[in-house]
Amino acid sequence: MRYALILAGLVAGAAPPDIVREAEARRIAVVGKIRPAVVAVFANGGQGGGSGVLIDPAGFALTNFHVVQGVGPTMKCGLADGVLYDAVLVGLDRVGDVALIKLLPKEKDKPFPFVPMGDSDKVQAGDWSIAMGNPFLVATDFTPTVTFGMVSGVHRYQYPAGTLLEYTDCIQIDTSINPGNSGGPLFNDAGELIGINGRGSFEKRGRVNSGVGYAISINQIKNFLGHLYAGIDTDHATLGATVKTTESEDDPTPKILVQAMIEDCDAFRRGLNPDDELVEFAGRPVTSVNQYKNVLGIYPKGWRLPLTYRRDNVKKEILVRLEGLLPKEEAQPKERGPRPERGPRPEPEKRSAEAMKLFKAKTGYANYHFNEQARDTLLTKARSHGDFTGMTGEWVIEGELERKGQKQPIKITIAERPDAENKTTKTVISADLAGVIFAMEPLKAAADPRELRDPPGSGGLLMALYHWHRLQTQAAKGFEGEFTHGGTEPYYPTEGKPGRPALRRIDAGVLRTEHAAVKGKWYYAADGRLLGGEVSQARGEDPCEISFGSLKETGGRKLPHRIDIQFGDQHYGTLLIRTYQLPKS
Amino acid sequence: MKIRATIALVFLAAAAPAQDRYATIAQATNARMVKVFGSGGFRGVVAYGTGIVVSPDGYVLTAAGSLLDTPELRVHLPDGRRCSAKLVVIEPALDAALIKVEMVEDLPFFDVAAAAARPLALPGTWILGFTNCFEIATRDEAMSVQRGVIQAYTRLPLQRGIFEAPYTGEVYVLDAVTNNPGAAGGALVSRSGTLLGLIGKELRNAAADTWVNYAVPVQARIEVRDGEAKRIVSLAEFVSLGMRGQYKPTAKPEKSAGDGGYHGIVLVPNVVERTPPYVEETVPGSPAAAAGLRPDDLIVYVDGEPVISVAAFRAIMSRTHAGQVIKLEVRRGDRLEPVELKLGERKPQK
Repeated sequence: MRYALILAGLVAGAAPPDIVREAEARRIAVVGKIRPAVVAVFANGGQGGGSGVLIDPAGFALTNFHVVQGVGPTMKCGLADGVLYDAVLVGLDRVGDVALIKLLPKEKDKPFPFVPMGDSDKVQAGDWSIAMGNPFLVATDFTPTVTFGMVSGVHRYQYPAGTLLEYTDCIQIDTSINPGNSGGPLFNDAGELIGINGRGSFEKRGRVNSGVGYAISINQIKNFLGHLYAGIDTDHATLGATVKTTESEDDPTPKILVQAMIEDCDAFRRGLNPDDELVEFAGRPVTSVNQYKNVLGIYPKGWRLPLTYRRDNVKKEILVRLEGLLPKEEAQPKERGPRPERGPRPEPEKRSAEAMKLFKAKTGYANYHFNEQARDTLLTKARSHGDFTGMTGEWVIEGELERKGQKQPIKITIAERPDAENKTTKTVISADLAGVIFAMEPLKAAADPRELRDPPGSGGLLMALYHWHRLQTQAAKGFEGEFTHGGTEPYYPTEGKPGRPALRRIDAGVLRTEHAAVKGKWYYAADGRLLGGEVSQARGEDPCEISFGSLKETGGRKLPHRIDIQFGDQHYGTLLIRTYQLPKS
Repeated sequence: MKIRATIALVFLAAAAPAQDRYATIAQATNARMVKVFGSGGFRGVVAYGTGIVVSPDGYVLTAAGSLLDTPELRVHLPDGRRCSAKLVVIEPALDAALIKVEMVEDLPFFDVAAAAARPLALPGTWILGFTNCFEIATRDEAMSVQRGVIQAYTRLPLQRGIFEAPYTGEVYVLDAVTNNPGAAGGALVSRSGTLLGLIGKELRNAAADTWVNYAVPVQARIEVRDGEAKRIVSLAEFVSLGMRGQYKPTAKPEKSAGDGGYHGIVLVPNVVERTPPYVEETVPGSPAAAAGLRPDDLIVYVDGEPVISVAAFRAIMSRTHAGQVIKLEVRRGDRLEPVELKLGERKPQK
């Protein structure tokens, strides 16, 4: 009996055991589920191409920047169903080598297959991974090629080619990827999207798989996704500081020190100095120069992130605004007389008219059409909390200003009054703070810059309230300079949530405004609630930040009854508002 | 019935190799490896490599090579420490070196003697390779892990002169692309993390322009010529004696004269990339003249290997030696003619 059983065990061992069959069946099922969402990307006219993956039912797909580079605003995309779709460029991340495109459905509003995004920070070296795409563009019927392999390393750093195509915090795989796989998806064994395949370490063996490929982590892409959906040609960030590794003879454990800093960057204004030791950045310990670059490389410019440094054995956490990485767009060269006539450039193949309807060119944007769409969606959501359109009469806000432990009565008026002399509109914002009157005319020529930043120490509270008033009552009409969607950024409200920034963070939609050379940024929660804003009057200067709390309904509109005012590192004070008067004009 | 239940449980336990299992093995292996930094950085010679820790006080086994030709040898430990290291001893026949990391203790390590006492891995065995290929990792960053299968346990056909590798014993040939720049000295482990071998150097087949990926088994044991005598060397002995300062390396094999044996064939001028190896003339009194080679003969095979160009012919001949007999096949008119040459001593160049 016993003998027979052991024999049975041996036989079971010789044939593929159930677990192998089960693993195989699971893998086949996963591949079957995800393959409809894998995209074969082609330039118009079929010159070159790569791969991509659909991430939502509306047809938005991720690919590499280097796949759509030079292709123009539209392209063709094939899916595993054998159908070739028209597609349009939506957003670009040139440094991170990512592009967002949108496939156009053949029937209106017909949903596309798509894959869920995973959490690439949970991926470990030794995990299985599945790559899909169109290596060597072998598939003319667009059915993706599947390769299976191991994750070789995580949080890898790969130097950029120039400034572009920097692979930070990427996933290294031995899963075979070859030219044509670029832009295609990397999945974990559960079929969740964990990265976008983009490059490999090739040296002397030609541009084919050398067992070392890299995928951009999906968590990095998630940070940029708000920008990409808003049609932005995004930029990565710099801290404004270079770092170095040091260690001493008796302590070989490396320390990462700030080497040099640009003096007009935010990190310097927040107190970071050369020779300070970086301890933690965006919640991750900084243990090597590569890891510092990894953390920095996964965030868009303009984001505010916590940074912990050590000086004289004292640790301090600051919130730092990241500066842009790419050089500012060169000014357009001046016209030098008439140019010789030139015929229209021949298009290699006619672009889809339907796709071109979804494209609008504008400097700083991959496709401004999608910025307008995102902006209008954001404003519609915001209006559901209160529509202030047309309430351009004199706003009167009364309450108290709590500052340095004292409360003083305050009355703020925002008025655009006709000016008798010039027959134009004169805008005056004034505050009566316990009998002391501050008044500011934001549009006065040669205004006193100190007056524009009144009350003193606030960094421009009156200006901020003026811009908020314009935003609420006039929207696009109030901002001749800029009125665009700024993607997604973390926002750190102050009301009732003291403590470390990471615990206060809300991911907010951003609206960027500019009026009379003063720039504003406004932060909206996912439900469209206005969380706060900041107004900056000059580059290299801290903005005045106002953070809205205690939202109460007043006449069908939600209005903040608490406004925290922050300027640089100083909490200026808190406006505790009792009443609003918002007449129509 | 009871026994059946036990067997079922064993199978269940085997069914549990969760995703996490290889991640755990990767971490455990990585904890016993170092990144080596030395000389190089020019002419395609990289200044980085990989090594495995073989003792708690910092002995590291790695590949021999010009990387170690520096007094400024440094290693990065898995915890990010950067330490000085000294070369202890090199065994050219094993293409292996032992270095010592200074001022360290209690390091996790591979027990080479225990690993060498295990049987060899069979072809078809599932393996993991750990290397710092392409210098992807520095400081506390982990080694790259790749998976594959042992394709063969065999001697590389070095005697043909196609592959250039100092190690002449049997190797594990791998189907994974493990042997990249900086990978030499990496760890080859089984799927349960047992040390199987030391990943070898980049090795290119000059004739086919393909690359082979191999590892030297931890059981490596070969007979080599040591001066006049013959001697057995093994990796395990190299490590154990080396750590005690008692290992005597074999003499470096004398480099066979770079120009090879003398044949006396004058080929047509090598003007294009693949000039066909036509005989222009033969030197009177030379082995070629004695063998009856004639002008306009096209050399097609040397010892059965096809020769496509003047350069290829010269490359093969440079690996021959005086006294060796080579068999050529030449095309003469529309026939293939076999020709046998006994190579002579090369006269010193005037």
